[in-house]
Amino acid sequence: MTGRDDAPRYFAPTDLDGVLRALDGADESTVVVGGGTMVVPTMTHGHLVPTVIVDLVRSGLEGIREEDGATVIGAMTTYSSLLAGERERLREPGHPLNLLVRAASGITGGPQIRNKGTLGGSAAYANPSSDVPGCLVALDARVRLASPRGVREVPAAEFYLGAFRTARRPDEVLSALVLPRGTATAWGYVKFKLVESSWPVVTSAAAVLPDGGLRVGVGGAADRPVPLDLPTPSEGTDDPAWRALVADEFARALDTHGAVPVDDVLADARYRTDITPVIVARSVAGALERRQG
Amino acid sequence: MRNIRLNVNGEDHEVEVDPRRLLVHVVREEVGLTGTHVGCLTGDCGACTVMVDDRSVKSCSVLAAGADGACVRTIEYLGTEEDLDPVQQAFLDEFAFQCGYCLPGMLLTVRELLDAEPDPDDAAILQAISGNLCRCTGYGPIVRAVRAAVRSTRGGEGS
Ligand SMILES: Cc1cc2nc3c(=O)[nH]c(=O)nc-3n(C[C@H](O)[C@H](O)[C@H](O)COP(=O)(O)OP(=O)(O)OC[C@H]3O[C@@H](n4cnc5c(N)ncnc54)[C@H](O)[C@@H]3O)c2cc1C
Ligand code: FES
Ligand code: FES
Repeated sequence: MTGRDDAPRYFAPTDLDGVLRALDGADESTVVVGGGTMVVPTMTHGHLVPTVIVDLVRSGLEGIREEDGATVIGAMTTYSSLLAGERERLREPGHPLNLLVRAASGITGGPQIRNKGTLGGSAAYANPSSDVPGCLVALDARVRLASPRGVREVPAAEFYLGAFRTARRPDEVLSALVLPRGTATAWGYVKFKLVESSWPVVTSAAAVLPDGGLRVGVGGAADRPVPLDLPTPSEGTDDPAWRALVADEFARALDTHGAVPVDDVLADARYRTDITPVIVARSVAGALERRQG
Repeated sequence: MRNIRLNVNGEDHEVEVDPRRLLVHVVREEVGLTGTHVGCLTGDCGACTVMVDDRSVKSCSVLAAGADGACVRTIEYLGTEEDLDPVQQAFLDEFAFQCGYCLPGMLLTVRELLDAEPDPDDAAILQAISGNLCRCTGYGPIVRAVRAAVRSTRGGEGS
């Protein structure tokens, strides 16, 4: 066995207070393990060498509950447990969980990943290709961060600072995702990819707002999720003028947020930018249909 | 190093582990059950699939320390050479494996699917095995084997 001497210290606290104690004074070399689906392989392959591991496996930070006008999802809630409650919620098309349910049902990697991967882990990881961050932006969600110094909530659109970079400090745990209720009347979600099991090229989460406007979270296209506020298309989502407006709004939002289009082996930046209005249009079409249906 | 307890296929084990030690390595090297395979160690291939507290997981992505106290079931639990699980028998009958590297993970995943959904359609079958990569056989024979397992199980129920 290797590395016996420099083995990290390991904590598996059984409640939030225990997590906060374990994180007291933490720096970059402290690693929080959620479901472990990304972070454990990263450690195995030596890309991450922690001095302290805080494993949330027994933290109890899971479960979904209603709290003053908001739905609160514990960070350790897995995709599987979100999907398990699906049937009760689908009746209310505007319920924020319906968007996340749609996204969760398209998570690849098999049931094994949906059984272990958590919503908090996906939110904290800030992988530009992940499903959850773009949804959080469309949901106007807040990210709840707890540390020994206290609790704060950061709007999703401000939480993401770049690829794999967030506003979370090393001594903070992402304890929950807070989704305000009543923000939308229906949701649409499209995940565009060229190969079934690959990461998506562009994702779009669309909300139809009670005032008739649209709020969209674009994922995959840039190094962080990009929020768009759009008017409902009066001539339908195929209307070239409306699509041109989406393209302009996207370019402007990239600028405002200092976001950089992703350019990788799956698709270059130009391609991603070009298809974004199409993917946005499809997600909006789905949302409008669901509102009427 | 820390001591953990695991119940593996009904037997208790106490093992001393480094906090970075993976469940798959403990199962194979400390417990000595080598039916669970190690492939990518990235969570992609599914060869390391085991059941932890009745849910399939990729054991290369699970810290053994975090599994302390868990109930683990591996491919060795599913059936014996004399008494194969219907899923194992169907994979054999339908030529649904070649080298067999993916097989332990594939079988456990299919077993989990059929326990939850005794008569899945093809879309549900493909969705269930989407985290198990097979490099040899192709998914056609595998899906046929799952359908055969469904038929044999239902046939058994009827008689
Ligand atoms: C084969 C495969 C397919 C996948 N397919 C998809 C897909 O289709 N869509 C998708 O979006 N993702 C996908 N993923 C990525 C990923 O597994 C999931 O998004 C998952 O939700 C990550 O959650 P986790 O709890 O396992 O995170 P972990 O691996 O535990 O952690 C990820 C990161 O977040 C940090 N972290 C975790 N939880 C917290 C917390 N509560 N507070 C602070 N920091 C925390 C960790 O330190 C680490 O940096 C896939 C992964 C694999 C292996
Ligand atoms: S070895 Fe675990 S998924 Fe490949
Ligand atoms: S039989 Fe060889 S990998 Fe599946």
